[in-house]
Amino acid sequence: MGIRSTLGLAGILASVLSGPVPARAREEAADLEFFEARIRPVLVEHCYRCHSDEAEADGRLKGGLKLDSREGLRIGGDSGPAVVPGEVDESVLIEALRYEFLMMPPEGKLPDPVIADFEEWVARGAPDPREGATAPSPRAGIDLEAGREHWAYQPPREWPAPEVSDADWPITEIDRFILHRLEAEGLRPVPDADRVTLIRRLSFDLTGLPPTPEEIDAFVRDESPTAYEDLVDRLLCSPHFGERWGRHWLDVARFAESLTLRGFVLKEAWRYRDFVIDAFNEDMPFDQFLREQIAGDLMPGGSLEDRRRRRIATAFLVLGNTNLEEQDKEQLRMDVVDEQIEVIGKAILGQTISCARCHDHKFDPIPTADYYALAGILRNAKAMNHANVSKWIEVPLPMDPAREAAVAEHEKAVAALEARVKEARARAGGAKGVLAVAEAPGIVVDDEQAARVGDWTRSTSSGTYIGSGYLHDGNTAKGAKSLTFQPEIPEAGVYDVWLAYAPGSSRAANVPVTILSAEGESTLEVDLRPTPPIEGRYVALGRFRFEANGQGYVQLSNEGTRGHVTADAVLFLPEGKGDRPEVVGDRTGDDVEALEEELKRLRESGPKRDLAISVVEEETIEDARIHIRGSVHLLGEEVPRGFLRVATVGEPPTMPEGESGRRELADWLASEENPLTARVFVNRVWHWLFGSGIVRTVDNLGTTGASPTHPELLDTIAVRFVEQGWSVKRLVRELVRSRTYRLSSAEDPASRAIDPENLLRWRMDRRRLDAECIRDAMLVASGRLRRDLGGPTFPPELDADYGYDRESDRRSVYEPVFRNALPDLFEAFDFADPSMVVGRRDESTVAPQALFLMNHPFVMDRARETARLLLVEKADDEEDRIDRASRLVLGRPASDAERRIALEFLGESPEDLESSWALLVQAMFASIDFRYIE
Amino acid sequence: MLDAIRRRDLLKHTACGFGYLALAGLAAERAAAEAPPDPLWPRSPHFPAKAKRVIFLFMQGGVSQVDSFDYKPRLFRDDGKDMPFDDARVIANTGARGSEQRVMRPLWEFSRHGECGHWGSSLFPELNRHMDELCFIHSLHTEGVAHGPATLFLHCGATSAVRPSLGAWIQYGLGTENRDLPGFVTIGPSAGNGGARNYGNAFLPAVYQGTPLGKAGAPASEATIRNLSNPRLSEADQRRQLDLLLALNAEQSGPSSDPELDAVISSFELAWRMQMNAPDALDLSGESAETLALYGIGEEPTDNFGRQCLLARRLSERGVRFIQVTYGDSTANPAWDQHSNMPKHADHARRVDRPIAGLLADLRRRGLLEDTLIWWGSEFGRTPYAQQKGTGRDHNPDGFTVWLAGAGVKPGFSFGATDEFGHKAEQDKVHMHDLHATILHLLGLDHERLTYRHSGRDFRLTDVHGRVVEGILA
Repeated sequence: MGIRSTLGLAGILASVLSGPVPARAREEAADLEFFEARIRPVLVEHCYRCHSDEAEADGRLKGGLKLDSREGLRIGGDSGPAVVPGEVDESVLIEALRYEFLMMPPEGKLPDPVIADFEEWVARGAPDPREGATAPSPRAGIDLEAGREHWAYQPPREWPAPEVSDADWPITEIDRFILHRLEAEGLRPVPDADRVTLIRRLSFDLTGLPPTPEEIDAFVRDESPTAYEDLVDRLLCSPHFGERWGRHWLDVARFAESLTLRGFVLKEAWRYRDFVIDAFNEDMPFDQFLREQIAGDLMPGGSLEDRRRRRIATAFLVLGNTNLEEQDKEQLRMDVVDEQIEVIGKAILGQTISCARCHDHKFDPIPTADYYALAGILRNAKAMNHANVSKWIEVPLPMDPAREAAVAEHEKAVAALEARVKEARARAGGAKGVLAVAEAPGIVVDDEQAARVGDWTRSTSSGTYIGSGYLHDGNTAKGAKSLTFQPEIPEAGVYDVWLAYAPGSSRAANVPVTILSAEGESTLEVDLRPTPPIEGRYVALGRFRFEANGQGYVQLSNEGTRGHVTADAVLFLPEGKGDRPEVVGDRTGDDVEALEEELKRLRESGPKRDLAISVVEEETIEDARIHIRGSVHLLGEEVPRGFLRVATVGEPPTMPEGESGRRELADWLASEENPLTARVFVNRVWHWLFGSGIVRTVDNLGTTGASPTHPELLDTIAVRFVEQGWSVKRLVRELVRSRTYRLSSAEDPASRAIDPENLLRWRMDRRRLDAECIRDAMLVASGRLRRDLGGPTFPPELDADYGYDRESDRRSVYEPVFRNALPDLFEAFDFADPSMVVGRRDESTVAPQALFLMNHPFVMDRARETARLLLVEKADDEEDRIDRASRLVLGRPASDAERRIALEFLGESPEDLESSWALLVQAMFASIDFRYIE
Repeated sequence: MLDAIRRRDLLKHTACGFGYLALAGLAAERAAAEAPPDPLWPRSPHFPAKAKRVIFLFMQGGVSQVDSFDYKPRLFRDDGKDMPFDDARVIANTGARGSEQRVMRPLWEFSRHGECGHWGSSLFPELNRHMDELCFIHSLHTEGVAHGPATLFLHCGATSAVRPSLGAWIQYGLGTENRDLPGFVTIGPSAGNGGARNYGNAFLPAVYQGTPLGKAGAPASEATIRNLSNPRLSEADQRRQLDLLLALNAEQSGPSSDPELDAVISSFELAWRMQMNAPDALDLSGESAETLALYGIGEEPTDNFGRQCLLARRLSERGVRFIQVTYGDSTANPAWDQHSNMPKHADHARRVDRPIAGLLADLRRRGLLEDTLIWWGSEFGRTPYAQQKGTGRDHNPDGFTVWLAGAGVKPGFSFGATDEFGHKAEQDKVHMHDLHATILHLLGLDHERLTYRHSGRDFRLTDVHGRVVEGILA
């Protein structure tokens, strides 16, 4: 840089000094001198670090902008040209220096005289001699045709099963693909697993539950030639299949039942969980399964059940761990869209599309335009109702006519009773429903003008209020919420201060209300249960002196309160002026209270409308504009809605004018022509059965992902999967029928030496039991497991997940997935992070797992219960009982050595029999053969 | 038999640790051949480190910079005047700049302290005595106007996207020095505003997540590590059971030396060592009366936070890398969040002032301040004007103060400045990304090289931002 600038200066000096100079040239020389003296040094010192060739070479270039050449400035970066010569106010560089936009340099605004220099320089036409510098490397753009060369964007095709030397070994075609590669590398598959191993493996893989000792015996003794296939079919038909395989999809769908933020509980999320479980149990075609999750609400026709199910399925789009508190709501809207693109991209397409939010994808042929083509579709689907704290959307589900009628009747009854309550209230207190702010006496500070701290909800359900409603604290976050009503007092004097509130039996009885007046601060407690004595609206707080426009206020807090705190308005009535409503005295009619109680009971008892988490179409359907560097405030050109071009075969469809485009998106995703969808899913299924995928990076089939170890096999399975109607059960059956699946986990040093990672599948990898299997298997051994299916699994009144205490003997898939309160066992044993797409769970081996197994009451309780069961069973002797324990816990008889070790332990035990056995069973729960599937 | 296992264990440990950093990212994307090497084994930093560990004193909710350490005389002069300000919340909600706000003077008087003569208010009298130890950054700015986003940004460098926390990155980069204790401990974490995500590992391997010690709102005297002790069994019974388990495992793993099974076996030995040793780290009963008094333990209102700080010292002595101490709670308006009642700041200050001063003094006299970096701060600061012309201050992410102390930073120093109201960082601005880069730098880690391959690209704590604040380095 130094050399170049010296040369530049020398050049100018040369031109200045050589001979007579015409005026124009003199002007130019002066311009350049100005540049050299005032502009270049500033650029060098403050800008080049991030905006120069050198920065680009170091990978530090920011915003695609280079300021070390004239061309760089004129062409500009992501925000367009940095300078428009002569146009000071249109030059982004000047805006940035003025800190009006982008705020550069980031370490602090430059002194005003320096900014003035830049303004002058631009006004002069931004003269810049720096020709020698290289222009910014032209934006390469993405070559989609070249991009299509990547294997995963090519349409999959069916390959003939290859020839193998050992023709007797393969059972299915899959085996021929596998054996072919093994033979080519000079490897031999290890021996098959024995039946005891196989039934444990199959049971966990297909249902997530261990086989019972009786089932093991029956399978081992079964002499039928189709014993294995029969077992597979039995397990595929079990309702527990859907629980196991549904849970796999829930990992991918980042399913959760609460948000991290404030522990908000997603009360209706269980419906989506059950939809997923049912879909796997009923073997819903996978393409339909996808379509319903993306656009189920838009699909026409169908039975009532269909319509309900499709609506529920769209919760898929809304389950992200959204930060509802984001204050910039356009930002929040795009954050939601981005999360949806991330999830759809990874879960369905195995693509990291989100990388293209800010710039063209660095590795995959996904231009930013494609990102915003997708974003345009999803942006048209409203996922949140925005407020200070935004809220996800719940919609009523269609119901059958009988229930619809029952609900309608109930709603009618509620409405009638509400009217009676209102009437009674009016009788008791004289209140007459809604009163406009202007109609209320005195100086009115409505709740809308109150300064709120904490989360207050507006309501109108009492029917009696001033203005547009009243606020209540939701009976939560006690001590963290307050409302401050600050009047504009025009004239100093004494005022009567009245509080309007919405009464009721569920209200707080001791609300601290602080009045700051010219006399100082005073606090009193107000009981919000009775109907207010004045007009049925107001309670008098007292008489206070206020200065004109002083600091006075009335503040309600919910500190130390039990029950809802409500507030409608505060009135300041100048002493002795104006018409005042009559104080009617305490006329808390019992009938009001009783009626309110009845109303509450009626509301709770009657049939309710079913709700589901979903999206709704936006009123305005529009295309999205490119967000430069991902910023919602820096919009570029509009992009027509569409899909990833690299994975689109033929002409892209035209998008409907009056609909988001989700139906078209769903069709494209679930199309048999989409080269990614079927591949991604069959690879996942392979991963779930074999412990690793044919492509090991199951969520990433892009160029940065791993290559398939058996590309022809993957393609062939994918094509057949589609041909066979996207049937997941058939796919699973096909994979587990293979001999490859039935191999043992035996060691073979020769094979290990050649293929240590078992990429070629010369054996079955030993796999660990995941968190759910560990828990469920302990519940099974102790005889406690409840096997009922589906339904909500936490109390409906729960409003935050913090510290949720669970006590359930149901299967783990029904444990509420609370993002702030996962079960200890889940956390310890690598349960899928419910905020991310998890195609492959972490596999950690850490001390906290050991501490859990050694010390957690859940494990000790299950161990003791199992011991109790064992001790009441008939057994020939201790050895027999040890064997029985082993079959129950480990799914196999004890080895001689284990029997010896256990006997020795029991013999030395000073405790009572049950305690000794409990210790033994707990050790078995912690042992390798319980925690691993051979 | 146990000896054989231990030998194998030992061999395994000495054979790994090299090149792990490079491998870890790959290991996640492409399954490694063998069980990966022990991911917590200590690793060398990128360059020699000034600090071996960090204690982060998190003042949850937003301490007011203008009431504590960022002295602005103009606020006293213009108290009560209505003036236009670029309020972050108003801008986020409506895009409008220059909304009218009422200037509000600090509620505490300021004076100069120490040889450095830095201004400090009477809010933190004990800390003022340590002024010559502290290195202030007055020009911090960050992302997020609400607690949730800003708290996540503070811990994870992102307001919304799920990203690993700073402590997790540090463990990933450096491993742990003490295998009997977790390497990243968070004392009294809040369940609110991101909760566990603030000490989570996100896409990093799970071993790097923080271990909570107690929780906000529960007494620190009861804080412990989950499942650290057995509620029912005697030590003798447990030892017998452990020997039984080790024997079963040895039998089941057979003669082969599958590294993964070895790891399972050794995890029980490690768990046992933790169970034997960690309680000692958490047991304050051996501390002298003088030390307890130094932290304000046994007195109100300092007892609880004093215990948290003393625990932090005990953990730092034992080689824990990243220790966070939270003064906060799990509500939506945590601790320092004085929207309407500014004087309440004093209650909070009284609870933390002496314990923090005690921690500084204790670390200093034990020589631990030499290689421990202390970081004190909030997710954002507060406005120099009253919220809605009332009696409190709103959130201010545009300019606020944190201080560092100890290893590698200039003592008795201040860096950067806000405008004359203490509202926006103006001179030598330091973004939260920059602070993260600087903390990693002090630990010997280059924030641009500490990357993890996930989802097809290399992620960093500082995303594509961050610059080391050279000006504060000693």
